[in-house]
Amino acid sequence: MLVKPKKNFLQRFYLVEVIKGLGITMRNLLFAPSVTIQYPEERRKYSERFRGMHYIKATNGVENCTACMLCPTVCPAECIHIEAGERPDKEKYPVKFEIDVLRCCFCGMCEEACPKDAIKLSTIYEMSQTTRQVYEKDFLLEQRGNK
Amino acid sequence: MPKCIIDGREVEFTPGQNLVEVAKKVGIQIPFFCYHPGLTVVAQCRMCAVEIEKMPKLQTACSTPAADGMVVKTRSEKVIQAQKATMEFLLINHPLDCPVCDKAGECDLQDFSFKYGDAYSRYTEEKRTYLDLDMGPVIKKNMNRCIHCTRCIRFGTEVAGIHEMVAVRRGNSTEITTVDGRPLETDYAGNYADLCPTGSLTLKDFRFKKRVWFLKRTSTICEGCARGCNMTIHQDNNVIYRCTPRENMEVNKYWLCDEGRFNFRYVNEESRVTVPMARGEVDWDAALAAARNALSGKKVAVLVGSDLTQEEAQLLLQFVPRHLGEAPLYHFGTPGIRSPQDDMPADRILKRKSKTANLHGLEKLGLKGFEALPSGTQAVLLVRGGRARLPELKGVVTVGVGVFRADEAQGFAAVLPGASFAEKDGTIVNFEGREQHLRRAINPPGQSKLLSEILMVWANSKGGTHV
Repeated sequence: MLVKPKKNFLQRFYLVEVIKGLGITMRNLLFAPSVTIQYPEERRKYSERFRGMHYIKATNGVENCTACMLCPTVCPAECIHIEAGERPDKEKYPVKFEIDVLRCCFCGMCEEACPKDAIKLSTIYEMSQTTRQVYEKDFLLEQRGNK
Repeated sequence: MPKCIIDGREVEFTPGQNLVEVAKKVGIQIPFFCYHPGLTVVAQCRMCAVEIEKMPKLQTACSTPAADGMVVKTRSEKVIQAQKATMEFLLINHPLDCPVCDKAGECDLQDFSFKYGDAYSRYTEEKRTYLDLDMGPVIKKNMNRCIHCTRCIRFGTEVAGIHEMVAVRRGNSTEITTVDGRPLETDYAGNYADLCPTGSLTLKDFRFKKRVWFLKRTSTICEGCARGCNMTIHQDNNVIYRCTPRENMEVNKYWLCDEGRFNFRYVNEESRVTVPMARGEVDWDAALAAARNALSGKKVAVLVGSDLTQEEAQLLLQFVPRHLGEAPLYHFGTPGIRSPQDDMPADRILKRKSKTANLHGLEKLGLKGFEALPSGTQAVLLVRGGRARLPELKGVVTVGVGVFRADEAQGFAAVLPGASFAEKDGTIVNFEGREQHLRRAINPPGQSKLLSEILMVWANSKGGTHV
């Protein structure tokens, strides 16, 4: 059963309560500090450990990745697809390294699992695309962070 | 039965059993590298050291037969210390390349290092390295990872019957290699990769294809010959990546020949017909209609591949009299092998001369071996699982049911794609009369169907315009 709260006459008188409410609104409007910023002119400073767009770290132009498959193993979203291969200067390397970024949940577990310090999440967060993008190896090899 | 006490637990054993086996009975794991139940005992890795009461020093469990009243400790202070020291010693020259190594995930060295070893290495000197020679088409060697357990050497001399792996030089510079660096000759070379407790010997065929922890295993039987070796199919996402032997002391012990191990390749092959064909790709209705058209009103013979299961053959025995009249049935499989008497051992280890698994089972069902078509035969219904060698058929209309390569099915009036040994359940009978079960590991690819489904549709549908 719904119990109606008891109200006195002033509370039942509509106008008083409306004016009180407007008072709160005006106070917030005029005196409260603003929480928004003028993006993209203004930008927030994020932590160095922010987990944004992926990249594969390279040392002297050679990718650190040896296609050990630990990142697809640990990935909870199953968004990493690697095919391993062999080439003269590297016993095992990823022929294909794809991240289905739409599935990625940016948990950073791949970064944590990587024994070769290869896969990294940069601080770039502007990743919107007009197509359903899968990040290919060439795209991931752009060094876009200093982790 | 005599009893001994391992870690405070009383274990019964049969005299002659060594401590590793006895401990395994009660679920106590004693780590080992050089010991293998199918090979002689050398006790040189020292990993299985255990403490035995009234013995002054630690003993290697693999070379110590259990004795009545023996009191063994496998996790005492002294043993743990010894295991740690052994692990450190074995890992001195072992490279830290598990991310690259194919063995990672099923590697004894990796597992025991995690369980019994130390997480840190004190070794700061340069590790020794080797240049590896090619070892033929099956095995890829990486000597840097070797821990000199000599299992491969013993396998060669004791099982494969060929002394092709040897240890040259001594001590730190020991190298396990083939005699004069020749490629491996044995037909059982795949077992070297299974035996190796590290990633020194790995399969070239499986190299970098898949990490082992992604693979799903299905226990099944090899269809390579009439022995019917027990094996495990490793599959992921409907693709077979490799086959490994499965222990069965009465059939194949721990081994599998290369022919059987790599027999699965045709299952995933590009050229396999997985769409119904009738002079070009058609749908199932049209293919069935073409098949019935091709056989109706003609004198038909039915050739049954001896790679089919008992269940499938039984189905055909019921199907043929009802739908194809008086057509005689013959089995075919290996050229020159027509009856069980022809099926002899092909070598001294496992292989049999009949290169199909169910020759003996089909004989049991009363099928006769194929020699020549009865005179006047106009059409042939060819049913096979994928392994049986097709006989030469000339001047007859042929309808194929089962697994065919595109080039084999050239000229067939119709092909109804069927399931290979990895895609069906069933019973096969090996040369000793032992009934064993095939298990379905993957789904039939494309539009392929099981033989039971094909025959059911054939029997129950009008299937076209011919009648």
